[in-house]
Amino acid sequence: MKHDASLPLPNSLPRPEGEFERLKEVWRTPTGWRFFKSVNNTSIGLLYIGTALLFFILAGILALVMRVQLAVPDNTLVSPGTYNQIFTMHGTVMMFLFAIPIVEAIAVYLLPNMLGARDLPFPRLSAYAFYAYAFGGLAFFCTIFFGLSPDGGWFMYPPYTSEQYSPGLNADFWLLGIGFIEISAIAGAIELIVGILFTRAPGMTLRRMPVYAWAMLVVAIMIVFAFPAVIAGTALLELERAFDWPYFLVERGGDPILWQHLFWFFGHPEVYIIFLPAAGMVSTMIPTIAGTKLVGRRAIIVALVGVGFFSFGLWAHHMFTSGLGVLEMSFISAASMAVAIPTGIQVFAWIATLWNGRVKMSSPALFLLGFMFIFVLGGLTGVMVAVIPFDWQVHDTYFIVAHLHYVLIGGMVFPVFAALYYWLPLVKGQALSEKVGRWVFWMMFGGFNLAFFPMHITGLQGMPRRVYTYDAQLGWDFLNMLSTVGSFIFAFGVLVFIVDAVRTLRRPEKEVGNPWNAPTLEWLPSESYGNRSIPRITSDDPLWEQPGLSEQVERGQHYLPGTATGMRETIATSPVSATPRYLMVLPTDSWLPLIAALGTAGFFLLLTVKAMLLAWICGIVAVLGTVFWLWESDRTPPVDEVRVADDLVLPVNATGPASQSWWGTMITLIVDACIFTAFCYAYVHASMRLMVCPPPGAALPELPWLLGAGGLLLASSGLMLLAGRSLGKRRLPWLVLLALACSTASFLLDLRGHQFAGLDPTASAWAAGIGGVLAYQGLHVAILTIAGVYLALRHWRGHLGPRSQATLSNVSLIWHYTTLQGIAGIVLVNVLPLLMEA
Amino acid sequence: MHDRFIRQLMRGTLPFLVWGAHFTFCYLLAAVQCTPAAMRDGGPDRLLLGIATALALIVCAWLLWRERGMLRGAQEASLLDWAAGLSALLALIGILWTGMPLLMVQGCA
Repeated sequence: MKHDASLPLPNSLPRPEGEFERLKEVWRTPTGWRFFKSVNNTSIGLLYIGTALLFFILAGILALVMRVQLAVPDNTLVSPGTYNQIFTMHGTVMMFLFAIPIVEAIAVYLLPNMLGARDLPFPRLSAYAFYAYAFGGLAFFCTIFFGLSPDGGWFMYPPYTSEQYSPGLNADFWLLGIGFIEISAIAGAIELIVGILFTRAPGMTLRRMPVYAWAMLVVAIMIVFAFPAVIAGTALLELERAFDWPYFLVERGGDPILWQHLFWFFGHPEVYIIFLPAAGMVSTMIPTIAGTKLVGRRAIIVALVGVGFFSFGLWAHHMFTSGLGVLEMSFISAASMAVAIPTGIQVFAWIATLWNGRVKMSSPALFLLGFMFIFVLGGLTGVMVAVIPFDWQVHDTYFIVAHLHYVLIGGMVFPVFAALYYWLPLVKGQALSEKVGRWVFWMMFGGFNLAFFPMHITGLQGMPRRVYTYDAQLGWDFLNMLSTVGSFIFAFGVLVFIVDAVRTLRRPEKEVGNPWNAPTLEWLPSESYGNRSIPRITSDDPLWEQPGLSEQVERGQHYLPGTATGMRETIATSPVSATPRYLMVLPTDSWLPLIAALGTAGFFLLLTVKAMLLAWICGIVAVLGTVFWLWESDRTPPVDEVRVADDLVLPVNATGPASQSWWGTMITLIVDACIFTAFCYAYVHASMRLMVCPPPGAALPELPWLLGAGGLLLASSGLMLLAGRSLGKRRLPWLVLLALACSTASFLLDLRGHQFAGLDPTASAWAAGIGGVLAYQGLHVAILTIAGVYLALRHWRGHLGPRSQATLSNVSLIWHYTTLQGIAGIVLVNVLPLLMEA
Repeated sequence: MHDRFIRQLMRGTLPFLVWGAHFTFCYLLAAVQCTPAAMRDGGPDRLLLGIATALALIVCAWLLWRERGMLRGAQEASLLDWAAGLSALLALIGILWTGMPLLMVQGCA
């Protein structure tokens, strides 16, 4: 397909009568209390952003309490125990309930419009992810009112957090609460990857794709690889606390450093997971503010990808004082410095763009300049702490507190505020006050520097982080008072912003237009259906380089100017050249994601307080909610083909690797494989600490058990392959159920073999490592049980056919993955001791 | 797959993957050879690590050489050419820099 501005527009005028009305009707957002069943990205995105900002305020209030406590020496306002809970909750809520969610929330709200799509490819998944996060997060936050909040610091190092030193429920709330909220972050990432790669407007090639979309693509892929480590880590620590499996207990061969590896393998990429979306937003706003094209656009994109890669080689720079080998630390130190190069490319490109254009000093511009100043300072102290001997001196001091706040507030909060000023007019056409905006900026910028710059000095003077008070004779009081005054000025700036935002959002709605004269598609006229017609893109900056695009899109002269099937839909395009491939039918509003999210949140939180019956009722509600939600999907479309332009007819939906659900499942399985790898790593880590493996008194199963288990797994996959070729035949469900029997038997055989060998996961970390690998395989067999029965039911109810076979192909993928995982687990557990012996 | 997505993805990110493979190999070998189970006298095998580093550098230098045309006509080059060229340069610097400790550091502690 050619994409040339001189080509005639995709659709001719006049448009058929009633076409636009039908489009509006299909995408109508419910009003009143039914609004909460809405799954449209605009509704969910706004709720998501609002909730994330609420957590920003709540965690900010906790920060102010800490600052009041530290304002004067020997203060007794807060007890040491409460202070521990407050700093743990401040860090946890800021990182897990504000920083990650808000970058995903802004993407959910902005990206479909920026890409020219009507919605994201899995709207109900977005809704589920949001509600799971909102319910779980709010319940988690409420623990602070009952003295039940975690108190081991936001990175929850064992042995502080082991059962022995944290016997209450506090740590469990963190492990179960945050663990499942991470699952919702992963759900968001899957949505974004598939949305960015497959639902861009025709002609929006990867080269033309907005830099923000590139940043979010990189970030979403990073989430897929980074988050599994912390999910596995929290699972292991909870297994230790609940069942006495000693992964981190030194006296039984465990190692607290294992937690640090798993946590920071997530925790350091996470810093970039937070920063890169902000960098993407900056790259989107700066050309508009400077009124010129982005300098070094291609270099910025490559730099984003480079940062994504390098950020995975930095995790252990948080562990320089934990006793790692000197060569390992040196590698990490070097990589920590190397990441400054791609980051620097972006900073220089932004400066060059500002230099090239004429900057209008609006509120977003001020926040962007503030971002650059603060972030560069944070980056410089980052290079300082990458130098190992310097890090040894300042580790766990207020210097680190200063550094991390310069990076996170500078690198993320300031760009997010710039973004709020820049994109808020999209909501109701009303902009925030410029005059108030200047006050807000100077209070936040001044207050921030007054609060955090002195912390560099208090840190160098030796003030450790996380102390609840300090002695007057240490000489830290003046600097601490400055920090407290600064933090209140900063907070007052945020308060003024909130008042202005509420005032602005209460004003009557007006036409949005393009108030900043921006070049990106989100400034096309849009409603809940996105744009009236999906634009054909022929340039990098469409609203600058394609004159009349707004009017053409609004008149319905581009692609899909109505609803072709009478359902919600968008155009699926190819990932590189954005050539139209098929019409993607999207699900409509439903209560089911909300019900499933309530069930999930209830399950994890009630499990924490050991209300087992209620927890399992919630768990069943979550599973049933999800099953009913999926049951409505993957149906034969009413028509096979539709016309989306005068000269373009597309098939409706796709199957196999061409479909969005296949990619969604594949990415989920990559996440799954990463979690499994982390479980395997726990086993390897415990093994490498042994002089003799298996340790004295332990043994591995005999060969026949292993061969039997492996053989049954292969048989189950073979049966599923056969089932895949039996579409429409009566034997299909029986083959699936037979495959299920083989998988279950394989797991039971493996388990029995270990039982006969005397496996006791409480005896040693090595045995617990095997227990973890086995338990994860058991979880998959349980998932296959639900999936297999579900697939059989769909066949018997007539919901499997040539045009509705996504369920079959996705269940097959999960099945084959489980086989591979099972065999990999058996091989690893049994071969590693042989290798060590050799 | 439509429009050779995987192939293009590989071309654009191969140098970073080489950096990742080199980094993972070096870190893991250094870590394993300092554990009780596989402790090596004298610390991690710097010769083996040096060979791995030299190999990774050669691969990235070759990938950069292959893309030299892009450097001459950078303004007109496509995003993919840029990705292949610049990522090779960044990976080369990354490997060189990450490999530097091999010249200066030895032993486990």
